Amino acid sequence: MNYNGGNTTGFASPAGDNLEGRIDLAAMLDLSRPSRYPVRVAGDALASRGIFAGDILIADAASPPAHGKVAVVMLNGAVLVGQLAYRQQQWWLASGVEGTAPIAVAGDDAEIWAVVTGLIRTQV
Amino acid sequence: MPVFALIDGNSFYCSAERAFAPELRGVPLVVLSNNDGCAIARTTEAKALGIKMGEPWHLALRRPACKQVEWRSSNYPLYGDMSRRMYEVLAARVPQVEPYSIDEMFLDLTGLPDLENFCRRLRDDVRRLAKIPTCVGIGPTKTIAKLANRIAKDDYTLHGVCDLRDPATRATCYAQSPLSMVWGIGGKTAEKLNKLGITSIADFVRLAPEQVRELLTVTGARVQAELRGQSCIPLTLMPPPRQAIAVTRSFGRLVTSWGELREAVAAFATRAAEKLRTDGLQAGHLSVFAHTNPHNGDAWYSASRAAQIEPTADTLTLITEAVRLLRTIWRPNFRYFKAGIMLGDFAPAQKQSRLFSTRDAVKSARAMAALDAVNARFGSGTLRPAATGMIKTWAGRQARHSPRYTTRAEEMLIAKAF
Repeated sequence: MNYNGGNTTGFASPAGDNLEGRIDLAAMLDLSRPSRYPVRVAGDALASRGIFAGDILIADAASPPAHGKVAVVMLNGAVLVGQLAYRQQQWWLASGVEGTAPIAVAGDDAEIWAVVTGLIRTQV
Repeated sequence: MPVFALIDGNSFYCSAERAFAPELRGVPLVVLSNNDGCAIARTTEAKALGIKMGEPWHLALRRPACKQVEWRSSNYPLYGDMSRRMYEVLAARVPQVEPYSIDEMFLDLTGLPDLENFCRRLRDDVRRLAKIPTCVGIGPTKTIAKLANRIAKDDYTLHGVCDLRDPATRATCYAQSPLSMVWGIGGKTAEKLNKLGITSIADFVRLAPEQVRELLTVTGARVQAELRGQSCIPLTLMPPPRQAIAVTRSFGRLVTSWGELREAVAAFATRAAEKLRTDGLQAGHLSVFAHTNPHNGDAWYSASRAAQIEPTADTLTLITEAVRLLRTIWRPNFRYFKAGIMLGDFAPAQKQSRLFSTRDAVKSARAMAALDAVNARFGSGTLRPAATGMIKTWAGRQARHSPRYTTRAEEMLIAKAF
């Protein structure tokens, strides 16, 4: 039988009228939204932001870019993830590694592709 | 007055590839058909090199200019998902959306103010959220919206939006545009009318409706009425019921053995049965065909066989029936180039066994539900009949298949931490 905590055979379950669905993580992450894309992280350069190689980012193209947010950026033919900074009237990608200079997100081949809104780590 | 728009993705398959691959931006790119046979999507850079729609790729590669062109095998799981995203972005902003094809959607914009700006915002949103650049055509009928879309695509000074609601603008455009640009006027029809001196859209619109009906039947008369601004074709919000399901492929490598051909046809039957069950149908008619390559100088052999069957949507039953038919047309010593199966005579799936049924419908339905559930959860083809083969030597060439970025966990877009 398919027992759900309510459908007991002998004594009626006191929980019977108060059963709820289990927490649905997929629904919380809402990946079916047309603007949301899962993105896998390569490299540990963002370890200082708590983002490690193999993590799955929820990147939302509908979320507006803002100073300090982590974003997926397409820049000069590469797909990068880093921290956004807004300075001198333009966007920069700041590195998570100390001493690495930020790069300007500017030019023909530059796009803030999506802002990271969540993270999944399946192995801790 | 109704207002329609047609929004379509620019070089849709190429744009879907570029969405995830910045190294493909700004370079000539084509996407090839199944088997990497022909160019079926081209970026403007590739069109500029003279690559034609449907051009066999091995011929194009002989031209030195085409050697630098990037190419990809078709990645339909990705294109289907990107099309879904485009539809959902539109459906959240527009009262009604008709997904006409994988890359074209008709919109009902009746009563919306400031349409040109609205459409520019729509384009921006689809570009930003669904990652697909588009063009929009606006008009009082679907036929005019489709024509406007075509003009928006050809004339880059319009910045992607062309509005043909104004009759005066339309008149100018009709006088300058060949009739063959019109949706619903095929090449043969245009040729026939050209011989009568009717070459521009304006020439065609000027004809008396009775004359058009005489020349082109009621279908042509409807096209003319639509071009005159009289809306005859409403939005279709439900796909038409299926009349037939066909699964056919040309082989990546010519097939000579019975075993390989049988495996291929079993795989086609498996796919056809999945489509049947998605639509909640059973098929009562099955046909199978196979033929050699008509172009490579091989001995020509082509045969097909059809049969009525007890209505079913069971993969294993359909494989058995398909292989039984295939055996009757199989001849050794030929190099088979293409094969396929077709299902027809559809009826809604039955939950109970029929009177005089030779099979257990309940057991079959449960087995198929389990099969579909496993494949839905773990990916298409995870669980499949052994008859479809493990190695698939007959399968199409797909030498440069990009990752299925949005439908397979192990093929996600990879971003390098900076």
